[in-house]
Amino acid sequence: MSWHAVLLSVQVTAVASCIILVCGLGLGLLLARTSFWGKSVVETAANLPLVLPPSVVGYYLLLLLGRGGPFYEWLGLRLLFTWPAAALASAVVGLPLMIQASRAALASVDPTLEQAARTLGSTETEVLWRVTFPLARRGILAGLLLGAARALGEFGATLMVAGDIPGRTQTLPLAIYDAIQNRQYDLASQMVLLMTGLAFFTLWAVRRIEQPRGRGTANHGEIALLARRG
Amino acid sequence: MAEPRLLVNVEKRLAGFHLQARLMVEAEILVLFGPSGAGKTTLLNAVAGLTTPDSGEIALDGALLFRKGYPGRSVSVPARKRGMGYVFQAHALFPHMTALENVGYALWREADWRQRALALLERVDLAHLTDRYPDELSGGQQQRVAIARALATNPKVLLLDEPFSALDSAVRERLQNDLRAIQIELGLIVLYVTHRLEDAFALGQRLAVIREGCVEQVGPIEEVFRRPASARVAEVMGVRNLFRVRVADVTPAAAVLDWEGLRLEAPAEALVPGTEVIAYIQPEDIKVLYPDRPVGSAVQANQVDGVVIASQANAGARTLRVELLANGQIVELRFPSYSYAPLGLLPGERVRLSLRKAALAVLSSDEGAHAPTKTDRRSPTSVDSRGI
Repeated sequence: MSWHAVLLSVQVTAVASCIILVCGLGLGLLLARTSFWGKSVVETAANLPLVLPPSVVGYYLLLLLGRGGPFYEWLGLRLLFTWPAAALASAVVGLPLMIQASRAALASVDPTLEQAARTLGSTETEVLWRVTFPLARRGILAGLLLGAARALGEFGATLMVAGDIPGRTQTLPLAIYDAIQNRQYDLASQMVLLMTGLAFFTLWAVRRIEQPRGRGTANHGEIALLARRG
Repeated sequence: MAEPRLLVNVEKRLAGFHLQARLMVEAEILVLFGPSGAGKTTLLNAVAGLTTPDSGEIALDGALLFRKGYPGRSVSVPARKRGMGYVFQAHALFPHMTALENVGYALWREADWRQRALALLERVDLAHLTDRYPDELSGGQQQRVAIARALATNPKVLLLDEPFSALDSAVRERLQNDLRAIQIELGLIVLYVTHRLEDAFALGQRLAVIREGCVEQVGPIEEVFRRPASARVAEVMGVRNLFRVRVADVTPAAAVLDWEGLRLEAPAEALVPGTEVIAYIQPEDIKVLYPDRPVGSAVQANQVDGVVIASQANAGARTLRVELLANGQIVELRFPSYSYAPLGLLPGERVRLSLRKAALAVLSSDEGAHAPTKTDRRSPTSVDSRGI
């Protein structure tokens, strides 16, 4: 087992999950609660990483992170071929799952409850934290788990922006690829088993989370299928 | 009458609907009455700050809560700062919080929120159910928690949107009595939205009739009934032949009512002699008696003489307005147009009527000590052959 790859995968997935949580919840809220001109375009664009080939996502990320891109020129960040680039790539492909799930969960919260909170003196922020998010928590958590699972399994875009540098940017999926290239089938099968176990556990947990009352859930059968792509 | 404490004058246009409402409210229960879709809830939401009117003014005790399209600075105080308690139709309790946490929602920054929430729950007799979640409470209990929660902010105004419509009548009566007691104790300004006449009678001192977004009439309930300002109001109210009577006597056989000198018998009920009550009879339950025929037992009681003042026929039915000789009051009758053919029943003619005892219903007493009840009324379509 390549423990470097396991640890790096954990690290990358953790950071990616944080990005997914913040951005996904924000966008989910925006799409569930507001209507604005061009909303459907934004919605469609947010789902693009689900269907685009990883190489295309990777190409866009290269533009974003590389020389001449905003991260490089404006923020002064040299991210290409570092593990944060892998985290960013993982986050981008996991994000649509979180957006869809949190959007559906937030939209299912009865607006009357939020109205009631307002008449009881709550600011909009308090309404979100004390009423909306707690009531949508199952859907949000399910979306986060799916997004994280997708991030953990990210391969193509990561390869393009972070490379495949053992010990530095080589995550589990890349390590599996390398092991097969080098005909280390025992090593590959161990990691394959680990990945399969993690993915199975995640999907099982998502089912468990959604089952009890089903409040604020979308059709995750569909989303789970999409999650296996890429 | 003191200076009105809550002033509402708002206008809002929605697709196919135009709300134009003007209200002045004291520390009282003002019932907003009207059919579904009349704009009652929209009006309530505008007062609460949950919808923004297109123009208008809302002021509470001289403080401006909303102003737009009027001279002066535009104002719109957000709902959270209006200090109004709101009880929603489907209670809208937070499902992820216990009864105590729901009531304490508004008090979460206070150190003693638990004690204060508990005191509020005690007020609505639910101190023993503090740890239940809303889905573990009955409908009546949920609504009582909702009332306690709305009172937590010490509001001056309590807004209720059809709060008891999903409850059965015994529970509803109890909650209505509780609400009256709370209103008096706290001196609250209460706006109570309903489309049910019984609720209006059980609760309200005054009634505002709302129809198609307009406040048609505001006044004491029985006055609105007796003297509808317009045909539109009369139509909304739906009930004719409503009169204020004194309970003269109660025997096992009958309740004897005194209607300005006219003695009427109603089915025996637990009424208190000497109190004033509202009674009504449906136009279909007043029968015309033939002068030359024996009178059947069903129409033996409550025989009165009157003069026809108006007669109108439409859609197979005839409506008659008759002024009673005994007290000068007017009653309305309705019957199939083929009935009473041998009698002319033209305006100016004298007739003898029977107000069917079994159908004479007492709506409510003034003090609310007696809950609104209706006697078992025959269906208006069945015709009493002996009376014809």
